[in-house]
Amino acid sequence: MSARETILNAVRAGLDNRKVDAEAVRREADALLQDLDAVRPELPAGALVDAFIARVTSPKVAATAERIKDVNELPAAVRRYLDLHKLPPSVALQPAAVLKNLSWHGLETRGEVAADDIVGVGIARWGIAETGSLVFHSNPETPILANFLPLYHIVMVHESAIVAFLDDYAAVVVGQRPPRNVNLITGASGTTDIEGSLVLGAHGPAHLHVVIVKDTPEL
Amino acid sequence: MTTPQSASRPASPPRVGLFVTCLVDAMRPSVGFAALKLLRDAGCRVEVPDAQTCCGQPAFNSGDTADAAVLARRFIESFEPYDYVVGPSGSCVGMTRAHYEEVLSNDPAWSERARRLGERTYELMSFLVDVMHYTPTDVKLDSSFTYHDSCSGLRELGVHDQPRALLDKVTGLTLKPLEGNDVCCGFGGTFCVKYPSISNAVVTEKAEAIERSGAQLLLGGDLGCLMNMSGKLKRQGSKVRSLHAAEVLAGMGNGPAIGEED
Amino acid sequence: MQEATVSFKARAERALADPTLKLAIDRTTGTAERKRAVAMTQFPQFEAARERGKRIKDHVIANLDHYLLEFERNAIESGAKVHWASTAEEASQIVVSLCKQANAKRVTRVKSMLGEEIGLPHALDEAGIERVETDLAEHIVQLGGDRPSHIVWPSMHRTREQVSDMFKRAHRVPHQEETIEAMVASARRELRDKFLSADVSISGANFLIANTGATCTVTNEGNAELTTTPPRVHIVTAGIEKLVPSIEHAFLMLRLLVRSATGADVTQYTTFHCGPKQPGDRDGPEEFHIVLVDNGRTRMLRDAALKEMLRCIRCGACMNHCVVFRQLGGHVYGGTYPGPMGAVLTPVFDGLESSRDLPHACTMNGKCQEVCPVAIPLPTLLRGWRDRSWREGLEPTAARFGLSIHTFVASHPRLYRLGTAIAIKVMRLFSRGGLVRGMPGLGAWTKHRDFPAPARRSFMAMYKNSENKR
Repeated sequence: MSARETILNAVRAGLDNRKVDAEAVRREADALLQDLDAVRPELPAGALVDAFIARVTSPKVAATAERIKDVNELPAAVRRYLDLHKLPPSVALQPAAVLKNLSWHGLETRGEVAADDIVGVGIARWGIAETGSLVFHSNPETPILANFLPLYHIVMVHESAIVAFLDDYAAVVVGQRPPRNVNLITGASGTTDIEGSLVLGAHGPAHLHVVIVKDTPEL
Repeated sequence: MTTPQSASRPASPPRVGLFVTCLVDAMRPSVGFAALKLLRDAGCRVEVPDAQTCCGQPAFNSGDTADAAVLARRFIESFEPYDYVVGPSGSCVGMTRAHYEEVLSNDPAWSERARRLGERTYELMSFLVDVMHYTPTDVKLDSSFTYHDSCSGLRELGVHDQPRALLDKVTGLTLKPLEGNDVCCGFGGTFCVKYPSISNAVVTEKAEAIERSGAQLLLGGDLGCLMNMSGKLKRQGSKVRSLHAAEVLAGMGNGPAIGEED
Repeated sequence: MQEATVSFKARAERALADPTLKLAIDRTTGTAERKRAVAMTQFPQFEAARERGKRIKDHVIANLDHYLLEFERNAIESGAKVHWASTAEEASQIVVSLCKQANAKRVTRVKSMLGEEIGLPHALDEAGIERVETDLAEHIVQLGGDRPSHIVWPSMHRTREQVSDMFKRAHRVPHQEETIEAMVASARRELRDKFLSADVSISGANFLIANTGATCTVTNEGNAELTTTPPRVHIVTAGIEKLVPSIEHAFLMLRLLVRSATGADVTQYTTFHCGPKQPGDRDGPEEFHIVLVDNGRTRMLRDAALKEMLRCIRCGACMNHCVVFRQLGGHVYGGTYPGPMGAVLTPVFDGLESSRDLPHACTMNGKCQEVCPVAIPLPTLLRGWRDRSWREGLEPTAARFGLSIHTFVASHPRLYRLGTAIAIKVMRLFSRGGLVRGMPGLGAWTKHRDFPAPARRSFMAMYKNSENKR
């Protein structure tokens, strides 16, 4: 007997070889998702975008954030960030058309993110106010390593793509074929592995800056 | 886990069987007499069933369920005639209230008797407050105390506020909070003699926390834990005196503390 | 296990005599406890969420065959290859042979307790495959040549000074400054090119998502994604109990897991891995393998005294709040998993005979059950092992003899009273000034603390006397 059969038989024996009613199982699983407000934290009152920003910049997430009115303002925002942190005027762009088509005047840009890049600029598909998370789906315009290699990560997200809870993100993608990777990124990379002390920049970015754009996303 | 419900006070004096517990019986009878006095002051008719011995907890925690069941049946027979069973120990009461059903689960009739008796079985502090709505009057003790919440009483029976509410009524007595008041003292019944070094390491930290509280008295509701903590304090030459909370509430707070000559 | 030859008690004595270890344990578990407590005050829904989490896990376990098949179907659909392993040896052999098939010289690993459970580090080393641990703590464990001592902080037992020495010896460009920041930067430099040049990556899974076939990892360092993206092959090993019906259910569990583990609301990186690289993707593995591991889990399913342990989501809260773990650290437990959950699991994996101390070395204080995010009655499960140990005759003869005498005496009240009276007399004989500082048979107590002298007469004797006078 294969290990597969051995395991499945042992599971069935452990469950008294009852008959599986797939429909009943699904109903039961769905029932476990009812009344979500009782089992998740509350969001502060007010606009979703404000809750998201408050969360992103809270000590728990410890990222920085700013708002811009239009996607065309992104290069200027990146420039200000580089100046503020005294970084060289050179950024690696996530290979997304939206970013490539912007006017990056005065900045050296590359369309690939390399192992030793200092600053990377990317776009998150969604933001989640509950946790201050940014959501990325791997695809031709979104390689996964771009989110992890740079030391400074600047991420743009559209205001209209901010959802309240983790569950709301799940509801948006329900039924879709998942990408290879879904990354939920919440703040910079950190570790508490040496004596419990928090140090940022363990393997991934040490700094995360979130830029929220007012206009509608091109999804 | 069961938490006692706050019911209205019994209309007529209830008949209470005092569950002395073996440690109190052998080591510190004053706790038993304090319980007797408090229950009588609270308006109970108290009797001490002569046939009581040990609740079977040592056997139960050693994995010897058969012997635990023998003693559980004896206990149930001894205490079944009473309206309530009350004991000055969260651990022993926890055994009878939270575990007898499990110990006797092979025998539905006995298991049911265990359940029914369990519903009427209370830790002393919780019974005085939750059932009898008792408030001590005219008790004085000029001292400061810190309180250790013994684990069984706290987690199996929900005893936390009751002893504090009662002790709050003792004139002249002030509470100095204990850091880690809900952290185990390392007694654990037979654990402390099966793994003495580990137990010692745990109670050493507890003794340090008690000293840091700055209190003159260490009070608690379980003699086993109190013997463990006071034994460590004594060994270290501490001046902190240890008493069962019932003793203080019964006006015996100036008597010999645990480990003092009688 | 390397320490199996030394008894639990001897290992415990050694740990208790190590003040550096105690300092290291206190720093990590103390911080974890404080941060969890804060997180709980900010999450008043915890009790309801925990009840829901418990129900989700119970639902999955009650329909485990259904969910395993659903997961397998969807994983295959996504392009993954699914393997099944009944035992630890089978599981690690599957992984090793996948590595060999991929002609792997270098393998990068993401911390996974299941990987430790199935002996994967050892199996890879045996096979002569270079193994690079990418989690910082596992990197420290690898450099130290020892084993994880905590399931969330595997190198909890190391102080910063020890880590600094190890890094200076092993790293190509080690830190100059003696700060933790500099040490972390040193590890970052050391590991970066290894991430990118590995042939195979191996990770565990915090959740398996049945309705998509995805596996979920949670990390704070970002090493999971850096590890699993560049190599040509990604292998996931996961216990069969890790299933959840959907990503929605995973999110409910995630809220409980992270708060209980570190006190954060969510980890920095939560990633769902679903199949290999898709058309047009710029990175990702060509091959994606999932090894579903039983290793005792179906035995636990059949055992009423252990079944509830299958709810465990490996958060580590039970050990962070355990008075025994906080004195001993993790190595003393001798198995893959330490603390209360380890004391339940290790006898499953290693047998009760060699691990009977674990369920006994517990004060039954119930704190672990109180903090468990899926409400596992750990003390009850530990007592279940004690019952079994008693039934199987593994308990010392003296204890058995003592308890049967005790039961006999306690069943005869007059004999019991007599015994009490004699014990009181003997103890008072040994007492001075209200205390017994030493007495035959009481050494385990009096070695460390004083024993109070009993009153002259027992309560029952005095009570009878006083009632007769009334």
